[in-house]
Amino acid sequence: MTDLAPMTALGGSLARAQSFGALAIAENADLALASLAQRRGAAQPVPMGLALPGPGLWHAGNGMAAFWTGPGQWMIEAPGRAAEDFAGAVKQAAPECSVTEQTDAFVAFEIASSAGAAPILSLLAKLVNIDAAGFGPGSATRTGLEHMSVFVIRRAEDRLAVIGMRSAAGSIWHALESAAARLQGE
Amino acid sequence: MRFSGFRVIKEALTGYKGWGPLWRNPEPQPSYDYIIVGGGGHGLATAYHLAKVFGGKRIAVLERGWLGQGNIGRNTTIIRSNYLLPGNEPFYEFSMKLWENMEQEFNFNAMVSQRGILNLIHTDGQRDAYRRRGNAMRFAGADSELLDHEQVRAMYPWLNFENARFPIKGGLMQRRAGTARHDGVAWGYARGADLLGVDLIQNCEVTGFRIENGKVLGVETSRGYIGAGKVGVAVAGMSGKVMAKAGMRLPIETHVLQAFVSEGLKPFIDGVITFGAGHFYVSQSDKGGLVFGGDIDGYNSYAQRGNLPVIEDVAEGGMALMPAIGRARLLRAWGGIMDMSMDGSPIIDRTPIEGLYLNAGWCYGGFKATPASGYAFAHLLATDRPHETARFMRLDRFERGYVIDEKGVGAQPNLH
Amino acid sequence: MLIPHPLLGLRDAQEFTYLGDASLIHRPDGMAENAAETFFDYVYLRDNPAGVHRELWFHEQGDRSWLVVTRDTTTHEILGAELARDVALAAKGGAQ
Ligand SMILES: Cc1cc2nc3c(=O)[nH]c(=O)nc-3n(C[C@H](O)[C@H](O)[C@H](O)COP(=O)(O)OP(=O)(O)OC[C@H]3O[C@@H](n4cnc5c(N)ncnc54)[C@H](O)[C@@H]3O)c2cc1C
Repeated sequence: MTDLAPMTALGGSLARAQSFGALAIAENADLALASLAQRRGAAQPVPMGLALPGPGLWHAGNGMAAFWTGPGQWMIEAPGRAAEDFAGAVKQAAPECSVTEQTDAFVAFEIASSAGAAPILSLLAKLVNIDAAGFGPGSATRTGLEHMSVFVIRRAEDRLAVIGMRSAAGSIWHALESAAARLQGE
Repeated sequence: MRFSGFRVIKEALTGYKGWGPLWRNPEPQPSYDYIIVGGGGHGLATAYHLAKVFGGKRIAVLERGWLGQGNIGRNTTIIRSNYLLPGNEPFYEFSMKLWENMEQEFNFNAMVSQRGILNLIHTDGQRDAYRRRGNAMRFAGADSELLDHEQVRAMYPWLNFENARFPIKGGLMQRRAGTARHDGVAWGYARGADLLGVDLIQNCEVTGFRIENGKVLGVETSRGYIGAGKVGVAVAGMSGKVMAKAGMRLPIETHVLQAFVSEGLKPFIDGVITFGAGHFYVSQSDKGGLVFGGDIDGYNSYAQRGNLPVIEDVAEGGMALMPAIGRARLLRAWGGIMDMSMDGSPIIDRTPIEGLYLNAGWCYGGFKATPASGYAFAHLLATDRPHETARFMRLDRFERGYVIDEKGVGAQPNLH
Repeated sequence: MLIPHPLLGLRDAQEFTYLGDASLIHRPDGMAENAAETFFDYVYLRDNPAGVHRELWFHEQGDRSWLVVTRDTTTHEILGAELARDVALAAKGGAQ
């Protein structure tokens, strides 16, 4: 049988990680993703005890998290569960909803600051046309990053995640890397 | 007054005292045989050809502001006949032939410069499409050449040939294409028309039409009512607004297109280069400025100015194609409002109202059409029959299902 | 231009793609007697006003909502935005 070796979205055997001064950027290859859409007229579900957030928000709980992606639509994240049938588990927990496996459609980058919120805010300002001051912890949105569509999540004062199309992983890394390196030089 | 080399020398030696205004500034008459609404390139060329070729008499051009204040003075001056479809290509080639004789004909220097246009090719699919287009051009009597990578490199060695996304594999070249001085074209036709007795009436906005029993009798203007045998409307971006006054809705949306000029640089771009994949095109003016542009902003606009995202987009396209311009400063940017039609092609036709004719839908490409549009519109006004090359440019083609959609994107003006 | 998204607040117009006149929401009945006529009108003819225009914008790099934005085409001033869904439902008498 062919000997298949797993690869990350960036093509490595290990997830890529690099530091730029106070900012550390890491490819998160273990994040499981499933999209969930509520059927018309149905009640809003609480899959596996996770309360689904409203427009523009992200909410974590029970070892998972969810962010709002559109009216009646959410993305459910589960750290460390990329190799499981996570979408199957979500579907079981919310059988009345439409659930789709998304893990391999996306690439996730986790950005951590070792100097509080300031470097995260500067990076946001360089990357996207979102009002950084109004994008506090618990905010999440889809927006444009160098013509690519990405989700941006403020996981905490000093934590940011950027989730984009897997096929654009290299370009997103390049954008993040260039912005972080420039901040380091400033 | 005729222009000639002798005349220029004589004026230089006598303190330029002999130069006068290029046209009269007449008061409007109570009525005319023909009224052309809009003193842009197309309106002026129509009046000129009507008087010169079709022997029209008692002709007036009514212009809301000053002659040439609209798109004729705002475009990026590219002239070409490299269209694909039979509804378009013979018309644009007719126009190209008129450009080639225009200056001798109206005795005015419009700085027509056949410096060639190169459409860049990045993929095999695009090469096939351009080969087909080149053949279609030749069928209509135009010139075209398919260049390979090395031939393009010999012409423009500083282009970014190895761009990861859009490596340059060749280009479609039309050597007879080029540029012309846009104001000069307006002034040349204006002077030519004036010399043939056409009244060019400025600061005269058409505010309504007098229509009785389905026939137009004249126009209401900011300078009073003027009667007319026939009225031809050529108001480009204002087409929808003006024709609404005759109770008509058009297959047109008005959009804004921006253009840009850099500081003067030493000559390095001989011709016109288009980078369609990157939404960017460029030429270099005789003063050395890079004249460039890209896509329309993409939303309905009558504002004659666009927004920053498109400026960024165009600059990015330019940098991707020619990184050498990165340090050049942008001197000016401006916008013009365009009559984007539902299939991206123009309309030269009668309207359901007797005596009322429409010339519109030129999108971002009507400058090159100026001579043929004027000729064909004059032909229609004078004979009530379409000119041979403009016979597909009908107003009712949308209803009949005969659209002329070069890009094949459908009734979505911001994609044409 | 910043579009006041009813759910997400002010968002850069760059995140949206533009379709055109909001009357496109009201697709005529393709089975009606005069369908050819009404569809010609619907597909090809536009009011194209110089001034206040109600138009459809799609929040592609956002929540993928269709909005009806009211904008002045002579100044680009944006006067308001609603969810197109609400506009369409209101036109149908509010029923889902
Ligand atoms: C930025 C830009 C770049 C372009 N680049 C190119 C190019 O490279 N090549 C090309 O082929 N084409 C180009 N075009 C398109 C081209 O300029 C136009 O299609 C063409 O000029 C339109 O015809 P016109 O000259 O008659 O229009 P205009 O010059 O706009 O003439 C219309 C006239 O009608 C007048 N008018 C309006 N309403 C009334 C009224 N109620 N009463 C009286 N008068 C009225 C206006 O004041 C105006 O003077 C470009 C356009 C723009 C904006």
